[in-house]
Amino acid sequence: MNSASPSWKREIRAIFNKEVASELRTKSGLMTAGLFGVVAVVAIALSSFGMKISGTLSSGLMWVALLFSAAVAMPRVFLIEEEQRTGDLLRLWARPHAVFWGKCLYNMVQMLITGIILSALFFVLTSRNVEIPILYGVSLFGGCASLAAAVTLCGAIVSQAANRSAMAAAISVPLLLPLVALGVSSMRVSLGEGSLLGGEQAAIGLLGYSSVTLALGPGLFAAVWKS
Amino acid sequence: MDESPSLSDTAILTPRVIEVCGLGKRFGSRWLFRGISFTLDKGDRLVVLGSNGSGKSTMLRIIAGLETSTEGQVKGEPKLSLAALDQALYPSLTCREHLLLASDLRGCEARDQELLEKISLAEAADKPASQLSTGMRTRLKMALAIQNDPEVLLLDEPGAGLDEDGRALVALIADEQSSRGALIFATNDPFERRLANLELSIS
Repeated sequence: MNSASPSWKREIRAIFNKEVASELRTKSGLMTAGLFGVVAVVAIALSSFGMKISGTLSSGLMWVALLFSAAVAMPRVFLIEEEQRTGDLLRLWARPHAVFWGKCLYNMVQMLITGIILSALFFVLTSRNVEIPILYGVSLFGGCASLAAAVTLCGAIVSQAANRSAMAAAISVPLLLPLVALGVSSMRVSLGEGSLLGGEQAAIGLLGYSSVTLALGPGLFAAVWKS
Repeated sequence: MDESPSLSDTAILTPRVIEVCGLGKRFGSRWLFRGISFTLDKGDRLVVLGSNGSGKSTMLRIIAGLETSTEGQVKGEPKLSLAALDQALYPSLTCREHLLLASDLRGCEARDQELLEKISLAEAADKPASQLSTGMRTRLKMALAIQNDPEVLLLDEPGAGLDEDGRALVALIADEQSSRGALIFATNDPFERRLANLELSIS
């Protein structure tokens, strides 16, 4: 019940800065995402040592690493508020849309850092080349943005639920499957397999997916946040 | 010119800060409380009394908008603040960072140094909340609660864990709130009870 009207920019920046400050002190999010992603990529590189991995398999493996890095780290931004019981402070002080945007923005930055590190590590360790760098960049950027938006939304909804595990599975599987399909398709083409047109369409699909998630996310989140 | 006050002038002369009508909360088939109604004007200080588990804290949370009531409503939308005993703080954020965060989110002035001095936490300004004692955390919660000059200040067990100076601070904050709006606090402490001019007992 805040009657004051702070600017959206100030509110979103405050939430983002809070997440950054907490992360820099605890290092839990990047460590969790990084540990899983790095171990996955190193395991892939070791198991395929001396072999040339196909573009299709490489894009699939990269997406497994990206997806699970996001899944273990991103929902934390909301779950930790409920675990620490600090969610009430945000409910008292902030508007739900600002909370969602601040946390989503933080997750996007974290996901992009994770994606860049994992990509660099993957290509160094597996000696694969990127055939169409622009398409790969769009796939990685669009994929990380979409993953962050989708997983933030899942985390926001799941954190309010009594039975979190069941709710997480019920929400995240239908939400993330199309995203993974689009991501693998576009990244596969950027690594030199499949038609360029299909890759471009998948990349546009990724950007569309993130736009739709970001457009619907705040409204859905606001509905569950204060309930 | 007619000097008699209009209806709107009358409302300004006797400002009604908050009106609670028939508030009730039920868990399952058991009513925690029911039929709570009161109206507070500027300067009123209402103490909510009741045994443990009677629903004092729940009632404050409903008024603050953190929980929904089963029946009844809170009329009007006054600027509210709540400081509660079981309220958590961000463990890794410092006292000053809490005040800056709250001011950014509420769109009010931070007044961080002024508030930290007022609650005698200026020296602990850069300590993270995880390193504060219970009493220090209670003081910080009160500073956060009064930062935005609320029209209705809600305090749940405000003196819990506080020393004599801390209790004096509660009394000072209660006095200051009287000139700003209304105060509602839940307690069973005889000292704090004396700060009120109105009593509501939940059984």
